[in-house]
Amino acid sequence: MSSILAQLLLNGLIAGAIYALVAAGFSLICSVMKFMHFAHGGVVAAGAYFLFMFSQWFSPVPAILLALVTTVLFGVFMDWSVYKQLRKRHASNAVLLIASIGLMILTTNLILIGFGADVKTIPLAQHNPVYTILGARITLIQVVIIATSALLFGLLYYLMKCTRLGKALRAVADNNAIAQTVGINPSRMYLATFILGSALGGIAGMLIGLEQNLYPSMGLSLVIKGFTGAVIGGVTSVHGSILGALVLGMVENLGIWYLPSGYKDAIAFVLLFVFLLLKPEGILGKRFERG
Amino acid sequence: MSFLELKNVCAGYGALKVLNNVSLRVDPGEIVVLIGPNGAGKTTVLKSVFKLVDVYSGKICFQEKDVRALHTHDLIQLGMSLVPQGRQVFGSLTVRENLEMGAYLTQDNDVVQERIASTLLQFPELKPKMKDYAFALSGGQQQMLAMGRALMQDPKLLLLDEPSLGLAPKMMQTVLNRIKKINEQGTSVLMVEQNARQAVKLADRIYVLEDGKVALHGGKDILSRKEIQHIYLGGR
Repeated sequence: MSSILAQLLLNGLIAGAIYALVAAGFSLICSVMKFMHFAHGGVVAAGAYFLFMFSQWFSPVPAILLALVTTVLFGVFMDWSVYKQLRKRHASNAVLLIASIGLMILTTNLILIGFGADVKTIPLAQHNPVYTILGARITLIQVVIIATSALLFGLLYYLMKCTRLGKALRAVADNNAIAQTVGINPSRMYLATFILGSALGGIAGMLIGLEQNLYPSMGLSLVIKGFTGAVIGGVTSVHGSILGALVLGMVENLGIWYLPSGYKDAIAFVLLFVFLLLKPEGILGKRFERG
Repeated sequence: MSFLELKNVCAGYGALKVLNNVSLRVDPGEIVVLIGPNGAGKTTVLKSVFKLVDVYSGKICFQEKDVRALHTHDLIQLGMSLVPQGRQVFGSLTVRENLEMGAYLTQDNDVVQERIASTLLQFPELKPKMKDYAFALSGGQQQMLAMGRALMQDPKLLLLDEPSLGLAPKMMQTVLNRIKKINEQGTSVLMVEQNARQAVKLADRIYVLEDGKVALHGGKDILSRKEIQHIYLGGR
């Protein structure tokens, strides 16, 4: 029994680490840009599919680097081609939200056109040894997922707390109008946000692609998980979202100890509604009173 | 020679024109105060100088240089700083981070740290609060922080938008005294104030704005003029 618990906890940690990568990029963009970029799921899927594509032609390292760069460009292109044009027209956040859903659907269909509807497997993950910890099995790729996520969260924390760019991003997220009065150029910060957010999303997509099969609508289900994690932890708090996503991964996987595994998604949605109704600011999200 | 000069400036927000041919000037070392009833366009004057609203026509010169085509960050580098209305601080950043962001355009970290030290000399009450989040400060402390943040660029001209708004009378006096002190150290000040009586005590010259135009201009005696009652109370 205890080895089952260990396995479920480990599965929860792996799922949580992936959700947290998705959630971190999603909530970074949400906190700076002040709208829900649901097409972030499309960026995540693009990361997986670009890695699939490049790994046909190149060896792993250049394939991963190329996929990362292309995914970031894809995310930045979304901002430049759609959101930026809407911002120029003073579009409301609701319009941006609808545009982001449109972009999500568009991305899914572009993948369908480009790669077809059948599931794909990234050929890089052929050799995948299995280790046993406390009776629980973990594959090398899963170890890589956990380690990469931990490293990225550390880097992200350092960036946001200790660097001039990170502080400026937090300043824009806090109060855009005041950020301008100290000379921070919001357009540059928006660009930096999309680069960082899309890089996180792309890496999440690549890691998922190594672990699971690729299918065209994978981005939508992932961004919903990322969004749920972000709501649990606090949408506008990047480290809150990471925490929330880890909680979500754990709860989902521990839940199937009692419930059939088909209820995994239902658990996520119940958790989403509970938080939206009872604690919409999330675990770490703060409500600021302005004087 | 004037330090800052606005000539026939028309400005507003998109299609909404607020300022109509406003001309005013600030000479080096002066404190110039803009007063006037609500909606007269006082804040818009500061925002038009700082390129935060659309300037349709007219001329804005800073140190003899036409600055209308420049961006906000260029103006900051030329030596202007704005303290916006309503104790606006970055609530989710610490006091130290707020000050650091004030010197965002200064790349050299040593210079930033020196400026923090000199800003703390002006605002010693911030010193024990450096690690606190700015949202946790009192209203008066937030106003001090907003002013301290503006000083981090070492400005030659400080634009202040209603620094005493919503403060208790004692704190209001403290804030105005600090402004006087900053001015004595060589920074020129262009200030918007709702509290005309207090502000006039501080001012070298006063402009009274009404409906987006300069209605009156003069020295400390301006409040005793008859026209001022018409501007504030109407019914001429």
